[in-house]
Amino acid sequence: MTAPADNGTAVTTHAFDAPPSAKKRDPWSIVRYLALAAALVFALFPIWFIVAAAVNPAGNLNTTQLLPDGFGTGNYAELTSARPFWSWYKNTLIIAGFGSIFAVFIGVCAAYAFSRLRFAGRRPGLMTLLLIQMFPSLLTFVALFRIFTDLGDVIPQFGLNTSIGLILAYLGGAMGGNVWLLKGYFDTVPKELDEAAKVDGASHARIFFSMTLPLITPILVTVGMIQFIGLFNEFLLASVFLKDVEAQTLGVGLNALLTADRNKYFGAFCMGAVLASAPIVLVYLSFQRQLIGGLTAGSVK
Amino acid sequence: MTRSPWLIVKWVAIGTTLALLLWIAGKYAAAGQLPFVIGVGFVAMCVLLVYGTSRSVPMKYLFPGLFFLLALQVWPIIFTVMTSLTNYGDGHMGAKEDSVKYLVAQSVTEVPDAPRYTMSVAVTSGGDVTTSDLVLLLTDPTQGTTFVGDADGLSPISDGVVKSETGKITAAAGYQILGAREVNARSADLNAIAVPTDDGGGIKTSGLSEAFVGKASIRYDAAADRLIDTATGIRYQPQNAQWVPEGGQGQALTTGWMENVGFRNYTDALTNDTLRTGFLKILIWNLIFPLISVASTFLLGMAFALLFNDDRIKFKGLWRSLLILPYALPGFVTALVWRQMFNQDPNFGLINKTLGWSVDWLGDPTAAKVALLITNLWLGFPYMFLICTGALQSVPGDVKEAAKIDGASGLRTVQSIIMPLVLVAVGPLLVASYAFNFNNFALIFLMTNGGPFEGNQTQVGSTDLLITYAFRLAIGGTTPNFGFAAAISMFIFVIVALISLQGFRRTASLEDVN
Amino acid sequence: MQKRVYGAVALAGVSALAISACGGSSTPTATTAASAAQTAATSAAPAPAATTAAPVRDAAVDLVIWCDNDRKPIIDKYAAQFGTDQGIKVAVQVSTDVRKDFKDATNAGKGPDVIVGAHDWLGELVQNQAVKPINLSAADQGKFPAEAMAAAKFNGQVYGVPYAVENIGIVRNTALAPNAPATFEEMVTKGSALVKEGKATNAVLLTVSKTGDAYHSYPFLRAFGGGVFAQKASGDYDPTKVIVGSAESILGGEQFAKLGKDGILSTNIDGGIVDQVFDAGKAPYAMTGPWAIEKAKKAGIQYAISPLPTIAGKQMTPFLGVQMFYVSAKAKNDAFAQEFVTKYVTKKDLQIDMYTIGKRPPALTEAYSQVAASDPDIKSWFEAGKGALPMPNIPAMNSVWGPMGQATADIIAQKDTAANRLKAAQTEIEANIKKAG
Repeated sequence: MTAPADNGTAVTTHAFDAPPSAKKRDPWSIVRYLALAAALVFALFPIWFIVAAAVNPAGNLNTTQLLPDGFGTGNYAELTSARPFWSWYKNTLIIAGFGSIFAVFIGVCAAYAFSRLRFAGRRPGLMTLLLIQMFPSLLTFVALFRIFTDLGDVIPQFGLNTSIGLILAYLGGAMGGNVWLLKGYFDTVPKELDEAAKVDGASHARIFFSMTLPLITPILVTVGMIQFIGLFNEFLLASVFLKDVEAQTLGVGLNALLTADRNKYFGAFCMGAVLASAPIVLVYLSFQRQLIGGLTAGSVK
Repeated sequence: MTRSPWLIVKWVAIGTTLALLLWIAGKYAAAGQLPFVIGVGFVAMCVLLVYGTSRSVPMKYLFPGLFFLLALQVWPIIFTVMTSLTNYGDGHMGAKEDSVKYLVAQSVTEVPDAPRYTMSVAVTSGGDVTTSDLVLLLTDPTQGTTFVGDADGLSPISDGVVKSETGKITAAAGYQILGAREVNARSADLNAIAVPTDDGGGIKTSGLSEAFVGKASIRYDAAADRLIDTATGIRYQPQNAQWVPEGGQGQALTTGWMENVGFRNYTDALTNDTLRTGFLKILIWNLIFPLISVASTFLLGMAFALLFNDDRIKFKGLWRSLLILPYALPGFVTALVWRQMFNQDPNFGLINKTLGWSVDWLGDPTAAKVALLITNLWLGFPYMFLICTGALQSVPGDVKEAAKIDGASGLRTVQSIIMPLVLVAVGPLLVASYAFNFNNFALIFLMTNGGPFEGNQTQVGSTDLLITYAFRLAIGGTTPNFGFAAAISMFIFVIVALISLQGFRRTASLEDVN
Repeated sequence: MQKRVYGAVALAGVSALAISACGGSSTPTATTAASAAQTAATSAAPAPAATTAAPVRDAAVDLVIWCDNDRKPIIDKYAAQFGTDQGIKVAVQVSTDVRKDFKDATNAGKGPDVIVGAHDWLGELVQNQAVKPINLSAADQGKFPAEAMAAAKFNGQVYGVPYAVENIGIVRNTALAPNAPATFEEMVTKGSALVKEGKATNAVLLTVSKTGDAYHSYPFLRAFGGGVFAQKASGDYDPTKVIVGSAESILGGEQFAKLGKDGILSTNIDGGIVDQVFDAGKAPYAMTGPWAIEKAKKAGIQYAISPLPTIAGKQMTPFLGVQMFYVSAKAKNDAFAQEFVTKYVTKKDLQIDMYTIGKRPPALTEAYSQVAASDPDIKSWFEAGKGALPMPNIPAMNSVWGPMGQATADIIAQKDTAANRLKAAQTEIEANIKKAG
């Protein structure tokens, strides 16, 4: 245990000794909560205007007044009456859910290899991975389009207009930055653990699945979230893939609404965007325990 | 420790994968696409080699990721390189033959005052409706006379002709009339039909039951390789992948073709005056913008991560989840909100209204840069907050205890113990984030579109990044030329790769910190 | 995945910009930026059954139509009717960017058979071998106004059947301005008085924005005989004769300079703000189009529509936009596609039903007369479009939007004189067109 550094204030010094909840009169807690409130205000106030536009019958954005000129549920009706909004919702959850699970799995496997195993081309491989991400993607979609039209001609189940095809296309991004983040986290898990297990005769697969993975749940949650948010809002590829309205995702459906007739449907669009952000917040919220539940390096010492 | 059940699982998985690949290969074989069959076979061999043997353990972990990386990220890069060697773009998409066919077909116009026939499509009795030569059974709507038209021309017909009330022939002796679906299935053949008429025109079909007399005004002289406009007499010759009038005067025909141009796009980029004059100014801003963006989003994200990582905060999971909302909402709507908040007019812009300023945030070159950086900070910090929060969990609990921000000691702990640990995981992502912001097309496009533009021009904007600048030059502000755009993106890639490699070397030293 | 998210931002951004800054369902910004990410698209159209033994997906679909999210319900109805009449199955699919998706998908042989879109896509679609002439009979052509038919033509050929026309006009808040303005000066005087009384914040609302808006500024140049391109004898626009910097256009530009100086027009006003202010009842006049009406209604604004007024004694006229059905040059179901477009889109019922969604005047004269009799707004929009020239549908127009828009914004912001700025824009446009060959 590191001894608390001498910081000159008596209050904070003994703040480390007692359980946090027991501290009733902690002058720093006010500062902390003020900072917290400030952070939340900074993050959320621009979003308030989107909510205001969503409930404003005319659906106009107005960033200089807190309350909209009117209030109504017309935008919700507009969104859900003539359009399969809830189908979009369901499709998006399925595609983003499976897409991010697969992507995390592929990423974590690769990261494990880069962190724990030594092989020729390891460092250049990592570097190449990063370089590939930097390529300006002006023409990427043309190339992907070609791949999946060809694939779809032969195997319609994987081609355009299919969720499977879209999820496959998303897996192209499974490596890349994620691998670096995961690898970095692997690097902080002491190698002694693996080695001890190896002495016991466990196979590399067994070590990986039953020992290492549980240790890194916080970063799995993090990478999973980044993937999930990315896929949840993804629009470009999805719009290329999905043309049948019932099969579209929120990203595609809402964008189609936005491009339909200038800003005529801006209010309905804002309503959809606000509703669509709920699962993201809920998913992250539900994984909070896993975020701290992993054995941290400190506690296994 | 019994391994056998897992061994069975493993081989079942390998078997299933191989079966799937075999099935795919079979499909490709049926479609006659040999290269793909070979490709799939190669993948299957790799699967067997990697997972069936213990030859290479790392490969077992890398293979799935590598497969998708190669197919979906490396291939598009190769495609871009290939495109950069062509003139692919608007007006240059098909082959030269296609342009000839299209231009000739487009020039067919209805001969004025010629009859518009009511039409049925038929084959001679006993013929196969999917393959036999088609004939047109025509009714002149004004006179009610009926004809049969084929490659030889029109001839009257009356035997066994039955007409509907619209005049459409529904039966004729010796002919089998096609149903709508059958007609549609032969659309390509119908398009090729032109029943010759005396005045040199041809009877063409339109839809399912109409035909008109048309005449092409453009003719292709294959021997001379010239397109000839018979109405004006202008002869068009192929030049620069377009049909241009002989002698070089006048306008080229609308549709050209795609061809290889070697390194011309690259030399064009290097000798482009606009590109040269704007380059340095834009490059400087392009270096600064991502640097400040990464630094500011990281510092704020990290600060928030530390702040919200404190166990003494009630409902911290909830607050954390709310904090990622700026990242969860689509960027184009949030960027729109910021653009409006930066409006100069205090009636519309929250920032000037609150501060009582009259800064022209999006119209002044310096202010626009500041506005972009602030917006990007807001858009980008939740990403950094997410990964820092994740990375913080690797920090040993005792260190974390000490890191609770309770003044000077806390800060010192952060600086000397936590940051190095977090940077191990996050460092390379900062480089990636720099590279991403280096090409942050969307933000610029949404907020300023590269502007404000100074000095009576719209080529070089004060907030242009190389990528937005290149976009306007090759795609947005002119007839799109994707070959040229691809060549410029190669240059941009080299620049960003060189810079990033430098940054990468620095973070690499952090890797084996523990 | 950060990259992906922003990728989405990129294209969506295009729409957002289009929405807030530009005009026409044939939005200029969308036009140029549409190619931004170069996405591509496909349809559920069956692969050509005859060519390979490959399995054919959705073989049951005999006709594929692409349209926007908005108009799908109506097109569905007539597609179903066509399907029943012919005994076939028709699929109506939604694309977020029909223009670009169609171009790319058709190029790869995967496009739909019919698309619904704006007339100013035409030149670009012809350039890329994506659409074909539809050979509408002279009698059928006669059922549409000549201007609408002209917009559907390229090089003298008809490429689509129009179903609606659109243009901007003056929408006024009748609580603030009971009478239709005859002159722009009248609008300025009346509006300024209202601002002085505190009843309004803006005298006249016009979309300008920091990067300018060529679509909304065109009527000012046109009033004095200027514009974008000179017309050939045939009525087609001539891409070799740019007139943005002509003496006539400069006269219009000088109006911008004056209105900008007096604070009537401002680069702080973009499309979103025009709606926001007008729908809040804080401006008597907005120079805008049919898309703004539904929101104003929802906001409870009492409004009326009138034609653009005169400015300095010259009549302003807007661009005319035409929305229409195109047939793909590579339609797999060519015969059905032609039949549907030439025989069903020309039906009065379809044209009237399409009106119920977009609230634009139907293009078919017969349908228009019927709708105009019951909906005064439609009559007003149509009147406001009288004498309007179609927005150019030649590919060279891509090179115009940016420089022309920015020039008008700069003049309003008093950055330079109208003459200097418009001449500079003309030079730039000519260079861009020349570069494209």
